[in-house]
Amino acid sequence: MATEAARRPRAPLVLALGQVRYQLVLLLRSPLGFFLSIVFPLLLLICLKVITPARPVGGLPYAQWLTPAMCAFCLLNACYVTAITSIVLAREEGILKRLRGTPLPAWTYLLGRSGSAFVTSVIAVGVIIATGVVFFDVHIVWHAIGYFAAATCLGIACFFLLGVAVTTMVPKAETALPVAFGTMLPLAFISNVFFSVSRPPAWLHDLASAFPVAPIARAMEACFNPATRSWPMPVSELLVVLGWSAVAIVVIALSFRWEPGSAPAARGLGRSRHWLRRGQHAP
Amino acid sequence: MGGSPVGEPPPAIVVERLRKDYGNVRAVDGVSFQVQRGEVYALLGPNGAGKTSTVEILEGHRRRSGGSVRVLGFDPDAGGRHFRERVGIVLQSGGIDAELTVREMVSLYAGLYARPRDVAETIAQVGLTDKRRARARTLSGGQLRRLDLALALIGDPEVLFLDEPTTGFDPNARRDAWEMIAALRRSGTTVLLTSHYLDEVQQLADRVGVMSHGHLIEESTPDALGGRDVSGTVISFRLPGQLKASELPAGPWDQREDRPGEFTMHTDEPTRVLLALTQWAADRGVELPGLTVVRPSLEDVYLRITGQAAMGADDGH
Repeated sequence: MATEAARRPRAPLVLALGQVRYQLVLLLRSPLGFFLSIVFPLLLLICLKVITPARPVGGLPYAQWLTPAMCAFCLLNACYVTAITSIVLAREEGILKRLRGTPLPAWTYLLGRSGSAFVTSVIAVGVIIATGVVFFDVHIVWHAIGYFAAATCLGIACFFLLGVAVTTMVPKAETALPVAFGTMLPLAFISNVFFSVSRPPAWLHDLASAFPVAPIARAMEACFNPATRSWPMPVSELLVVLGWSAVAIVVIALSFRWEPGSAPAARGLGRSRHWLRRGQHAP
Repeated sequence: MGGSPVGEPPPAIVVERLRKDYGNVRAVDGVSFQVQRGEVYALLGPNGAGKTSTVEILEGHRRRSGGSVRVLGFDPDAGGRHFRERVGIVLQSGGIDAELTVREMVSLYAGLYARPRDVAETIAQVGLTDKRRARARTLSGGQLRRLDLALALIGDPEVLFLDEPTTGFDPNARRDAWEMIAALRRSGTTVLLTSHYLDEVQQLADRVGVMSHGHLIEESTPDALGGRDVSGTVISFRLPGQLKASELPAGPWDQREDRPGEFTMHTDEPTRVLLALTQWAADRGVELPGLTVVRPSLEDVYLRITGQAAMGADDGH
């Protein structure tokens, strides 16, 4: 039938690009997302640079270490925190359920989300580096720029996947931000993001190394050290990052839901609400 | 079963012995019905009757626990993108990005379908042209539901699901929504709607299925619901002084005590009784003052049907 032929679904890549654009528009209109991803790290860069005594880190000027560290912080905000807050909000407001009723394939939606996280991250990292270069005399280490880009991409992918995985455990929009920051900030503190832990206790180093933030942050920071001549992430740390990403993918595949009230903590409540409704008899 | 005439399209929706359990609560229990193409079919029932569960299974939002379901020949559970290209869904609430404008929202959804309708035309059809540049968060409740309808229509669906489309509307907004749905029917769209408003069902639906406690307890046209088109009709009149009550045809007539001379009858055969009565009066050359014929209201019938079902269900336990 002619009508059937005319209903050939759109190419997934086109749909995904549309979703990237949609998510970017939403981000621009939501001051929180914009603030978290770009303004917050930029403020921290400026404040930490201004208030911290000009003490070299690992033989390098402080700003030379702080700038890539703040880039790592950008990734955490633009990918992990934003994924959690925006996806939980979209799910609880019924936006995901509505999209689920359209021909948009599930993975295209998440691809669109990751695309917008990527674009936001690249812009934020660009702003941070430009600020460092222009105001704080930071030098880009051109021979390591490829490694820096690779570490950045790895961080975007890993943090985004972890954020999406965490949404399956967050029942309400109001708890999304506390959960996101409550998990991210402690890790960032022990993972060389806010200050360089030059000689940490062994247990703290081991603890940080068991999570993906420290490997990404240390690799990005190393790429601003002129002495770096090769891929700065040890294989063991790369495996940690890939392992966490794989776990996140499994969690997403098994538990990602589209309906409001579908996260585990809310599911029991939803069921009892249903019972209440059933209990009301016809007049 | 092979009995349909050649060339008649298959039904748009076929539901057979549908069952849905939540834990050990059976929300939908053995529901069967069919919706023909171009038909407006209403599922009517009180809250908790199983209407929304049924519709969400047909939409592909929920998995059924048993029975079979076909929408445009697809199993909604497995139909995937090709199925969702051809249906439109109006949710009970929500699902709209507060920071997008009406036109952005409708354009965004148009971009998801293979053969969308025209964006401006669809916005005009739901009466939001003046609001097309307004962000969703500034819209009133009624305007949001119209946007909701625009989003369901933008993919040019063959089947439209409307779950309680006017709940929470003021009377004007309800009228507007009814007009839009009537226009959809004229354009040949198949519509499955749920409602607990009787007047809405009477206005919109070609056929109605009454649900109570997970069962489909009656199916008919709105006018004939519960035998309403014939049963329990009340005929009343006053008898002029010169005529005697004992001569009245087709009794027994009840004389109302509060109004002397006024007679009423409850009958399931209003045509026969009226003919006999008016013939009798005409033969005697008199008018019957205050002659009225009143059908039971849809509400009376509905309460009777669902009340019986509730009692039956209670007896069963």
